[in-house]
Parts: sequence; C-alpha cells; structure tokens
Amino acid sequence: QDGLKECLSDFKQQLAWVERLDVTLGPVASTVDSGSTSASDKDAVDPENDFQREMTFYRQAQAAVLDALPRLHKLQVPTRRPDDYFAEMAKSDQQMQKIRQKLKSKQEAMQKSEKAKQLRAMRKYGKKVQTEILQRRQKEKKNMLNAVKKYQKGLSDKLDFLDEEQTASQGNKKGSANQRVKKGPNAKRRYKNQKFGFGGKKKGSKWNTKDSFNDVSDFRSKVAHNKGPGKAGKKALNKRPGKRARQKMKSRAR
Amino acid sequence: GKWKNKERVLIFSSRGINFRTRHLMQDLRTLMPHSKADTKMDRKDKLFVINEVCEMKNCNKCIFFEAKKKQDLYMWLSNTPQGPSAKFLVQNIHTLAELKMTGNCLRGSRPLLSFDPTFDKEPHYALLKELFIQIFSTPQYHPKSQPFVDHVFTFTITDKRIWFRNYQIIEEDASLVEIGPRFVLNLIKIFQGSFGGPTLYENPYYQSPNMHRRLIRLSMAAKFREKHQVKEVQKIKKTESKVLIKEDPTEAVFETPAEEKPVEIQHVKPESKAIVKDKRKPRKIQRKKQKKFFRTE
Repeated sequence: QDGLKECLSDFKQQLAWVERLDVTLGPVASTVDSGSTSASDKDAVDPENDFQREMTFYRQAQAAVLDALPRLHKLQVPTRRPDDYFAEMAKSDQQMQKIRQKLKSKQEAMQKSEKAKQLRAMRKYGKKVQTEILQRRQKEKKNMLNAVKKYQKGLSDKLDFLDEEQTASQGNKKGSANQRVKKGPNAKRRYKNQKFGFGGKKKGSKWNTKDSFNDVSDFRSKVAHNKGPGKAGKKALNKRPGKRARQKMKSRAR
Repeated sequence: GKWKNKERVLIFSSRGINFRTRHLMQDLRTLMPHSKADTKMDRKDKLFVINEVCEMKNCNKCIFFEAKKKQDLYMWLSNTPQGPSAKFLVQNIHTLAELKMTGNCLRGSRPLLSFDPTFDKEPHYALLKELFIQIFSTPQYHPKSQPFVDHVFTFTITDKRIWFRNYQIIEEDASLVEIGPRFVLNLIKIFQGSFGGPTLYENPYYQSPNMHRRLIRLSMAAKFREKHQVKEVQKIKKTESKVLIKEDPTEAVFETPAEEKPVEIQHVKPESKAIVKDKRKPRKIQRKKQKKFFRTE
C-alpha cells in the first residue's frame, strides 16, 4: 500500500487543470427518489439493474458537466461549436444517417402497430354494437307478434291496439328488409296478411263454418262473370269453350 | 497557444483479436488525436519488447490489447519508460458503430473526464485515476485536436469493476446523449514497472475467465455426479441382505381360524329374479330430459 502511494507521488504530474479536465463527483441527486433519500450514503447501485446503472452513469456525467462548464468559461475555453464551424466528426455522416433511419423506422413501426390496434378495437366495438341492435330488433319483433297472437285469440275490443301493432310490426319487417320498394309483392303480401291474419301459415285458418259460408265479402260479381275490364285481356283470349260447344263446332266443321 | 503537454499514446494489439476488439481500437484512435497506431505484435515476444516499440515511436503511454483463446480480451495501460502499468480484463464491449448510440462529436475534440468519488478513497484507485487522466485527456493546443469541449468520458466503479461511457454534451444544461464506445474493465494487477516489475496491487475479486468457465463446468458435473451417487446408494441398498426379524410368539395369539363350510355343488339352475320396477327412479325419457337440462345449465 505504501509502495502504491509512493509510486503515485512519483508518477503524478503537476499539470494545470485545463490540461487534464478531470472532475471527480458523484452523480446528481435524482429527482425520483425511491425510499431513503439521505445523500450521504451512496445508494448501492444494483449492477444487474441495467436502467438504474446507466442512469447513475448519466447523472455522474451530468454532475461533471455542470461543474466543469462554468470553470471552462472562466478560462475562456469554448464549449459550444459555432454554427459555421464545419469539421470532421467522430462518426461519419453516413453513420449518422443510418442511425436516423433506424430511429425513424422504429417510430413508424410503433405507430403502425398502434393504429392497427386501434382499428381492431374499433371494429370489435362496431361489431358488438351491430349485433346488439339486431338482437334488439328481433326481440321487439318477437314481442310484438306474441302480443298480437295473444290478443287475436283473446278479447276483440283490443283491435285498435292491434292495428297499430300490426302496422308497426309490418314497418319493422319492411325496415329489417332494408327499404324495399313499396309496390310489387308488398301489395300481394298485404292482401294475404289481411286475409289470413298474422303468425305465418296457420293450419286451420280456413274453416268451412256457417259464418265463413255466409261471408260473401270476397265475392266480386264482375270477376266471377268475367264482365269487368280485363287487366291484360288474358282471360278473354285464353277462354276455352265448353265440351258441348266444342263438339258442336267439330260436328259442324265436318 | 503552444502545445506543451507532450503526451503520445501508442494503441495497438496482439494477433488473434476479433472484429469487435479491432473496432474498439479504431474507435479509440479516432477519439484520441494524440494516439499512434502500430502493427500487430506477435505473441511470441515478451512483453517488455513493447517498451522498445514505444520508444521507437516516441510515445510515452501505451494501450495494448491482448486476446487469448479468441475469447478473452486483456488490456494493458502503461506509462512506458518507467512508470506503473495495469492489466485489465475487458468485457461488454460496444463500439461506435452501434446504431443505438445516437450521439456524435468532433473528431479530436477534447474530452471532459468524470470520475466516481470512489476513485479517491483507495490508493490503487487513485493511481488508476491518475493513469486514466494522463492517457485519455487530449493535450491542449495539440495540432490534431479541436479546441471545443463537447464530450465527456465517465469512469464509474460499480460491482468492483470500472465502467467506461462516452457522452456528447448537447446543451449547456447538461443534457447528454451517448456516443460510445463503452466497455467494462476488471482490474487484475498493477505493476510498478512498465509491463513488468514488482506487483503493487492484486485485485482479490478478480476471477480469471478460465476459472469462471471451469467453475460452471464443475457445477454441472457436480450435479450429475450427485445424481449418480444417489443411484448407486439405492442399488446397494437393494442388494443388501435383508434383516430377518425373529418370530414373535405373541402375534398369533388372537387368531381364530374361520369355520370350514361344507362344499355345496349346485345341480339345478337357480330361478331368475323377478324384475321389479323402481317407482322412485324416474323413467328413461325423463332421465334423459333431466340430463339435458342439467347439461345446458
């Protein structure tokens, strides 16, 4: 040990600080203090904890810089490079370009992944909302139809309510079919619904009872006797004479 | 001004170094304008030949890299005529060319040296500090140097090793970016003379890389040997003659043998049992329904 000290004293050069530019300081006190904060005992840096270790090095450098720069300024040693001073750098411009490219690509990759995540989340949410809406519509339709069926079989003085419900449910049907044209099959559908009632096909909806026999509301005389204006004149054209008339024609022709 | 501090550092290596070491050497040469390069030295020559090489090149300091087994890198720092020298094991090398180090500095600008307070506490560290200062600081008004101070070398003592980092000073408020290179030095010995002479200090915590590898191998071997031993012991136990316990007369006192039943031979087939419906058990269909209900719940 003494030998060391002797050697050191021999070896030590007495140079002005400007030549050596050395600073011996501990790291700057960190703003993020975990647990005990006493500045006297050096918090043992865990060498395995990479981040902590690098931060201590960084802070040590910072402390040195903060201490040395004023001294350098006093000694009139320049520390800032003027903007028009161009000189060779330790790393070539090519190298710096590569570094910049890498950083940019990393940033872009992160942004892309973020965007993708957001899109996925939005799509999921949208899908969820859509399924909810569809389910709600189905439920409403089911309830309406059930209520209608109940009241059909039950009291008849609820017919007004029924009408509203019918048109409402019809509207729902049309709505769920995505805005079809009002003409065409809807008229047919409307007629059939009116005639046969709701709940789709019902076995035994047409019964030959006394009431249905006496019900002549669907009888149109002009249609039955073929007297009215034909829609396309089809029936008149295709009308085949009866058996007797045909035989007469045949015999007459012979 | 006039260049007074005539320090010259010779940076070279032995043969058998790998690419990383070569790049590190080149990086050091670019960072230190007061350095000189030399060809690779043959390992056959003794180390004090280096002193002569340095004298020929008119250098008074030396950094010599020695690679062994293509794996371990040793670094010698020495003051060549008569001063002390130190041998280190170098680990964790990262060069200037690594893309994660984004800083840059002027080629040949003078560095600021920053040391850990621990360097002042021990005499051997104080000696090392002096050595570092003399080697790494660029002399003022050196012809190849730039007059600005725009980067800082840090030497920190952590985990009994010396960590080296190089940062670029961006702003006056001490915001830093790492330039590189970076390495870790593990002190082995300090000698009084240059590349020889009596040992001034030996690091007690130093473990040669060979020893390290050997220990790892031994521990693996030890595990295997232990398993083997356990197996052997078990084998021996099995083949050992078993101890015979003497017969205990009191054991059979309470034993009463069962009465012997007469042997009956059946000649006639027994009557089949009448199937009685268990009214408590639900019917098959209902059981199935219950099962289904239970499952869907």
